[in-house]
Amino acid sequence: MELHRMMFVLAAVACALVTSGCAAVKPWERDLHAREDMQPDKLDLAIDEHIYFSKEASSGGRSFGGGGCGCN
Amino acid sequence: MQLKKKSVLGNAIASAACSLLGALPSTHVVAADATVPATAPAKGPWTVDTALLYYGESDGRVKDKSLRMAIQRAFDEDRALSIDIAVDSLTGASPTGAVPSDVPQTFTRPSAGGTYQAAPGQLPLDDTFKDTRFAIAADWLQPIGEYSRVDVGASASTEYDYQHLGANARLEFDFNQRNTTLFVGAAYGQETIDPVGGAPIPLAPMQGVGNSSSKLGSDSKNVIDGLVGISQILSRRSALTLTYSYSQQSGYLNDPYKILTVVDPVTGRPVAGPSPGLGLYLYDSRPDSRARHGLFGEWRHAFDRDSMAVSFRLMSDDWGVKSSTAEARYRWNLGARSYLEPQIRFYHQGAADFYHSYLVSGQPLPQFASADYRLAQMNAVTTGVKYGRRTGVGDFSVRLEYYKQTTQSADPKIGVLANYDLVPSMSAVIVQFGYKINF
Repeated sequence: MELHRMMFVLAAVACALVTSGCAAVKPWERDLHAREDMQPDKLDLAIDEHIYFSKEASSGGRSFGGGGCGCN
Repeated sequence: MQLKKKSVLGNAIASAACSLLGALPSTHVVAADATVPATAPAKGPWTVDTALLYYGESDGRVKDKSLRMAIQRAFDEDRALSIDIAVDSLTGASPTGAVPSDVPQTFTRPSAGGTYQAAPGQLPLDDTFKDTRFAIAADWLQPIGEYSRVDVGASASTEYDYQHLGANARLEFDFNQRNTTLFVGAAYGQETIDPVGGAPIPLAPMQGVGNSSSKLGSDSKNVIDGLVGISQILSRRSALTLTYSYSQQSGYLNDPYKILTVVDPVTGRPVAGPSPGLGLYLYDSRPDSRARHGLFGEWRHAFDRDSMAVSFRLMSDDWGVKSSTAEARYRWNLGARSYLEPQIRFYHQGAADFYHSYLVSGQPLPQFASADYRLAQMNAVTTGVKYGRRTGVGDFSVRLEYYKQTTQSADPKIGVLANYDLVPSMSAVIVQFGYKINF
């Protein structure tokens, strides 16, 4: 079943991440992550999501599935 | 530990921007590397991001002129209010789902107040498509203790024939020295559809002018969304986000403006309908529920000067649609004040179980059928580039995108249908001007 398969993948990767020792990054080593170009552009993403929601059968995934539009 | 008063906006930006990455303490948000460009200095509590968008499809199909605003007001203690506003002006022609033929075809407009024609060989398009959409959403971000946040919001939108009201909430928890953030969210939407001329009875035939016997009144649907995910800082340069999402729609899920042609099993031409001069065209019929699962992953990586983001998405729903999406962006920081960002996206979907390009006369009617091209097997590619420049009066940007969609029909082309593309390809150009200011 799709749900179980996806949950399994997510859970497996999540466990791997949390236990893999990649927690070694200290707060003072995160300057690159704080750079503006490392943050998602929310407005661009919202615009793209609205277009694809209107033209394709799948939507959302990154965040909520979209809606509030009669275009699909 | 949080800063108290030094930089209110810095705190807010840190909280909002880094929520995806496992929020780091505000004291470390300011980029330490002097060679790194384009990190906005904190100035004031307000951030206004504006975009003017033009979306235009080829062959005189849909055009959208849109204005978008994202306004954020930051408050003390990492709290922030966000308000998003969108105004869309839509015009043009939309494919009805009917197939081309070698004979002229006449269709009744959705209002039942007139007709429109498709010439031989021409894809039937309803050229009365015109709408204005206004949407607003508000979100409040609030820390809960030192290591978690909540974001609650509400949304509303209105069109001529469609209204939406929604609410959403999202919780985030940091742990593992803030290298890991778990998040969980839920949203609910209530939508009312009041189609021009009424909502058609599924699989009822299109009637002539002034005859609304195949139409009912308005209808509604509701949408429940849930998501759970994890953001993990992998190294000093990389971060990964994984999200599982679930969406459940129920209620009226048909497209009231889409029809299917019923063709002759030998000639492939439309058979005669119940109204004089009209072929037999049946209204769209879809299940009244849809459940969708999605898995989304995004990897972000910072180079010394540039950065990139790669994402994938797998989706599957109980209408039989399976899709996969891959997307990549590379941010090329040209200098301290400007950048170029090429981007590419690939999308593939399989057809819905009940997708048909047409129905065949004499065969039993299926329970569900739709000729909406958006439910067909499809490939799509988007290529684009964005240029941004920081000035003393704000950040300006321009984005150009080209979207190309190719769809395939699974049905055999019988009779005259062999001469035509039953689901024609579509391309669109997207031009976006942006302006962002902080004060």
